[in-house]
Amino acid sequence: MLQFLTDKAIYIVMIIVLIVWIGIFFYLLTMDRRIKIIEKELKGDNYEE
Amino acid sequence: MKMFSRAYNLFIKDLRSELRTRYAINALIMFILVAISVILFSIGNEKIPPQLTAGLYWVVIFFSAMSGLSRAFVSEEEKGTTLTLQLVANADIVFSGKLLFNLSLTFFINLIITFLYAAFFEDFVINNFSLFLITFFFGNIGLAISSTIIASIIAKAGAKGTLYPVLSFPILLPLILTCVQLTIFCFDGINIENSVYELAIVISYDIVMITISYLLFDFIWKE
Amino acid sequence: MIWKILLFVLMTFVSIAGISFPIVEKPSNWYEFPLIPGLGENAKIIFFHVPTAWLTVVAFFMSFIFSIKYLKQKNHEYDVKAYVANQLGIIFCILATLTGAIWAKFAWGAFWSWDPRQTSIFALLLIYGAWFALRSSIDSDEKRATLSSVYSIIAFFTVPFFIFIMPRIMTGLHPGSADDDNLGPVINFKMNENMQLIFFLSLTAFSLLYFWMWNLGYKSILIKEKLIKKFER
Repeated sequence: MLQFLTDKAIYIVMIIVLIVWIGIFFYLLTMDRRIKIIEKELKGDNYEE
Repeated sequence: MKMFSRAYNLFIKDLRSELRTRYAINALIMFILVAISVILFSIGNEKIPPQLTAGLYWVVIFFSAMSGLSRAFVSEEEKGTTLTLQLVANADIVFSGKLLFNLSLTFFINLIITFLYAAFFEDFVINNFSLFLITFFFGNIGLAISSTIIASIIAKAGAKGTLYPVLSFPILLPLILTCVQLTIFCFDGINIENSVYELAIVISYDIVMITISYLLFDFIWKE
Repeated sequence: MIWKILLFVLMTFVSIAGISFPIVEKPSNWYEFPLIPGLGENAKIIFFHVPTAWLTVVAFFMSFIFSIKYLKQKNHEYDVKAYVANQLGIIFCILATLTGAIWAKFAWGAFWSWDPRQTSIFALLLIYGAWFALRSSIDSDEKRATLSSVYSIIAFFTVPFFIFIMPRIMTGLHPGSADDDNLGPVINFKMNENMQLIFFLSLTAFSLLYFWMWNLGYKSILIKEKLIKKFER
């Protein structure tokens, strides 16, 4: 088992990098949506006043 | 020409007030002596290669500049005369006057440093004198210009003393690196044709810095 | 929205391709990279190291442009945009230094050897670190924006020297220095076509990532300021 993992070590690196990237991407997506909502709210307030 | 005479008058005013009290010049000369003594102490009897001597030479020049050149603007802020200066002269004249003052101060202290180095460091043997003169001339101009514009920036900020070297060092780094290289060339006796690249860098640094300094000083100086 | 999906696809592909494609002596398939003597497996870092360095320059250039715009029009938005660009610039500068140091350990034997390019990226770190120090030492908003814009403009004039001139004229270990007879594998397009494709895809992906982060950054600061102003009333 250990030998198999050691041989395929580069793929383990790749999977880790992909996991990190997917995490970063979804974090950015969440922030993006939140900012859009708040911006819409602020614009709505401006027009009301 | 009128502008130059006004800037010259500003420079004379600063020079006179400096010579009257001589606080700054005395402190500066003591700083140079202390810095060189510290270096000599740390070296002891070890023999240091000429590259190291060249680097240490410009290190002392840099720190002496940091010690002395911010006075041009900071003293105005401290004495409260900035507003008067703003009313009396426009930005170009103020910068030219301060630059003249810093230029003369830089040349003065660097001459002292050069003589002390030539006296106390055995490796400080200049084999190509004309190259050294050119390096000295243009290097000091670049040093003075950058120091003056950064001094005007920090004069309006807080924590002036510590911030000044922090801001100035990276801006001066291209100049210092190239000048150290040129000084090493002077020690080795390499002739001017082979140092054209480095001289071009120093001279273009001077031209670029003086242009953007004049362009940007207006924004710094206006409240 | 589309470009975010494109970014995701690109970056995923670059991560997979850049890391897992094997390096063989004679590449015969489309998914194999050639072996560069002296580098071997760690040549793959080029897909991640060069884009971070490139983005540093792009970020600082954007800050330069917005600083000039701020000085001309004194619009607070420009100052925020320049601030976020400098933040990202410093982050990518740190990443470039770190990835470079790691690559140096494997290629040259030591993490740091004061090679001209290593020295120059470190000097960039100092310059823009000083920019943040300057910003935090000024209290008044407008003066802070004006002075930091001026320093950003001065600082950017040293960037071409540090990134493009100095490492090429001094002798050193980094490819493209005065020791080599070329300008390095990136500018001379001497990479294999596969590697070139992945490299440019990586450059595009990172640029899109930077643009998105910059967008989110400056919008969140502007929103925060608006909200603070609203609740102060």
